[in-house]
Amino acid sequence: MDFFEIFQQEWAFRALLASSMVGLMCGVLGCFIVLRNMSMIGDALSHAILPGVVFAFMIVGYSALGFFVGAVLAGLFAAVAITWIQRNVKTKNDAAIGIIFTAMFSIGVMGISKISKNDGVHLDLKDFLFGNSLGVSDQDLILTGVITVYVLLSIVIFYRYLFVTTFQPVIAETMGISVRVIHYFLMLLLSFAVVASLQTVGVILVVAMLITPASTALLLTARLPYVLTLSGLIGLFSAILGLFFSIIYDTTPGPAMAITATAFYFLAALFSPSKGLIFRWLQKRKLRLRIQTEDILKEAYRLQQRGKLTKENLDKRVGFSTRILQSHLQQLRKRGFFAKGTLELTEKGKEEAKRMVRAHRLWESYLVTQMGLTEEQIHEDAEKYEHLLTEEILDEVDAELGFPKTDPHGSPIPTKRGYPANPLLNLEVMHSAKIASDQLNEHITAQMWQLGILPDTTFEIKEKSSREVKILQGEKSIRLPRDLAGKINIEATEN
Amino acid sequence: MESTISVKGLSVSYDRKRVLTNIYLDIEPGLIYGLIGPNGAGKSTLFKAILGLIDTNSGKIFIEGKSIEAERKRVVYVPQRDDVDWTFPATVYDIVLMGRYPHKKMFQRMDDSDREIALQAMRDLGIEKLKDRQIGELSGGQQQRVFIARAMAQEAEIFLLDEPFVGVDVTTEEKIIESLKRLAAEGKTLLVVHHDLATVNEYFDKVILLNQRLIAYGDTEETFSEENIAKAYRSQLPILHKTGLI
Repeated sequence: MDFFEIFQQEWAFRALLASSMVGLMCGVLGCFIVLRNMSMIGDALSHAILPGVVFAFMIVGYSALGFFVGAVLAGLFAAVAITWIQRNVKTKNDAAIGIIFTAMFSIGVMGISKISKNDGVHLDLKDFLFGNSLGVSDQDLILTGVITVYVLLSIVIFYRYLFVTTFQPVIAETMGISVRVIHYFLMLLLSFAVVASLQTVGVILVVAMLITPASTALLLTARLPYVLTLSGLIGLFSAILGLFFSIIYDTTPGPAMAITATAFYFLAALFSPSKGLIFRWLQKRKLRLRIQTEDILKEAYRLQQRGKLTKENLDKRVGFSTRILQSHLQQLRKRGFFAKGTLELTEKGKEEAKRMVRAHRLWESYLVTQMGLTEEQIHEDAEKYEHLLTEEILDEVDAELGFPKTDPHGSPIPTKRGYPANPLLNLEVMHSAKIASDQLNEHITAQMWQLGILPDTTFEIKEKSSREVKILQGEKSIRLPRDLAGKINIEATEN
Repeated sequence: MESTISVKGLSVSYDRKRVLTNIYLDIEPGLIYGLIGPNGAGKSTLFKAILGLIDTNSGKIFIEGKSIEAERKRVVYVPQRDDVDWTFPATVYDIVLMGRYPHKKMFQRMDDSDREIALQAMRDLGIEKLKDRQIGELSGGQQQRVFIARAMAQEAEIFLLDEPFVGVDVTTEEKIIESLKRLAAEGKTLLVVHHDLATVNEYFDKVILLNQRLIAYGDTEETFSEENIAKAYRSQLPILHKTGLI
C-alpha cells in the first residue's frame, strides 16, 4: 500500500488530520518551552493532566469536551502548585516539579484502575499513555482543530510579549509586561496542547513532540521566527511520517512519531551547517592543519634569516612528527611556498611568513600596551591568535597602536604586504616629513613623478579625507589619492 | 530645576536584611550621574526600586511627579550582560527593535519609522554592520552596545545603566560614553552604576555615593572627594590604598 492509498481510508485520514495538527502546534509551542528551559515542566504538565481526565470521565462519561475541561483544570492546578512550592518552600525547583507531577499522575492511574474494575467500562490506561490516533472521533477532530488554531493565533498575537519575557524577563517587567501572567498563559496553552495530543501521542510522549522538533530547529537556524516556522514543519512531518510508518508496520503511532522526530534531531545534530558535529569537526581539523602550515612557514622564515634552515632544526622548532612535517612540506611546495625539492622559502613563502610574524608581534604589542599584560604572559596567547586574526583586524590593531616598528621584545614588526615601512598616509595632519628615496616599486615612483612628488623633498600634510590627501611641498600644494598615499614611503626629517 | 526622579525616604530590605536605608535623592535632567559604592551597597537595588521591580519597605519614588507605573515608557533600563542567554535565536536587529515594543499596542505592527529609529541607534553605536549577526557571535563590548542601542531606540527620558563599562574594549567604552553625553545634551537623564573610580571625574557631571545609606551626592568635583570615597568604602579602604586609587 502506498502513502496515498492508506490515507484514502477514512479512519487513517482522520488520524492524519489529528496528528498533523498536533505535530504543527506542539512544534511551534515547544520552541518557547525549550528556550525557557521548561522541558521538565512540559513533561510534568503532561502527566499531571491525567487525574483531570479521569475525574471528567467519572462525572460526564466519554466526552472530548469533558476531557478538555478536566485536563486544563488539572494542568493549571499543577502549574500553580509547582510555582507555589518553588516560591514558598525551600525545595529545589526541579524537585518541586517532580513531587507534584508524580503525585498527580499516581492519582490519575489509581482512578483509572478503579473505573475499569468497578464499572466494567472500557477505559484503557495504555491509550492515555501512548495515544490511540487510530480511533479519532468527529468531536476529537473539532476540538483538536479549535485548540490548534487558538494556540497558533495566540503565539502570533502575543509574539512580542513571548519574545521579551523569554529572552530577558527583567526588561519585560520594565516595559510593563507581567512575566508572571505570560508564564501562566503559556502554561494554559501547554495544557491545551497536551489535551489535544492525548488522542494522538498520549501523555508520556507529548513532551517528545514539544521539545524534539524545537531543539532540531534551534540547531538549524538562528532567528526566532524561523525557528518557530521550522520547528512547526518538523513537528508536522514527524507526525505524518510517524503515522505512516506505524500503519505500514502495524505498531503504535505515538512512539513512531516520537522516533521520527528524534531521527530528524540526530540528522540535524550531525549535519547542521553551523552547529552540526560533522561541520564542527571539519572546521577544527581545517584550523589545526592551517595552524601547522603557518607555523612551519614562520619557523622556516626565522631559521632562514639566521642561516640555520635545515630539516633537523625545522623539525625541532615545530615540534610535530617528521611524517606530518613531510606531508605538510609536500603540500607547501605544491602551493609554491617552498622551492621545488629544497627547503628554501620562495618569495611567496616569505611574504606569507612575514604576515604571520606581523600578526604575532602586533598582537603581542596590543596585549602589552592596551590590555596591560606583562611580556612574560603574552607569547603563548599571541602564538594562538596569530592564526585567527584577519588582515582587517590586524590593520585596526596596527592603527590603534600608532603603527609601531617593534614589538614589546624589541623585534621588528614586518610591514603589511605591498606597503612601505613608513607610509605617508600614517603621518598626522600638520606634520612634515621627507619623501624617502627608496620606494616600493617603479609603478609607485612613476605615479609620484606624474604628480610632481620628488624623492628627498620635505612636505607637510594639510588635509586628509576619505578619498584624498593634500600635501604642501614648498609652495606647491598637491592632492593625491588616498591609496597612493598609503604606498609612498617617507622618512622623518632630521630636526 | 524640576527633578525628573525624586526619591523620598526610600528603605528596602531582603529577607529582613536592610539593603537601603532612608534614601533621599533629587535627580535633574540633562546630566550624567555616576552611582558609586562598594559591592552590596544597594546600587542595583536602588535601580530596581526606581523601576518599580521590587517591594519597598517605606518611602516613595516619583518620576516627573508621577508613579513609575504611569511613566514606564519613559524610563529604560540597561541591565548587566551576564544574566542573558547569548545562544538565544535572535539577531542584533531583533534585540534593538525590542526597544520599540513599549510604543506599540498589541495588534500594531512595526512600521518603517520604528525600523529607522532602530537602525539609527545601531549607527550611533557603530554596530549597524552587525545587524544580522546572531547575538552570541559578538564580542562582549559589542553585546553591551546592542543593549545600549536598544535603550536608545526606546526614546526614553530616563536611562538607568548597570555597569555598562565592565568587560568592554576601549572602542566600546568610547562609543558608549560618547552616546551618553549626546543623550545628556538632548536633555535626557542618565544614571550609571560605575566601578572604576579612575574615570569618575571624566565621565560624570554628578555623583551619588552610596553604601546602604546615602553618603554624599552633588557635583563630581566637590562630592567625589577623598573623604567621601573613604566614607563609602570604609570596609575596603586598605585594598583601595594598595591600588593607589586614593
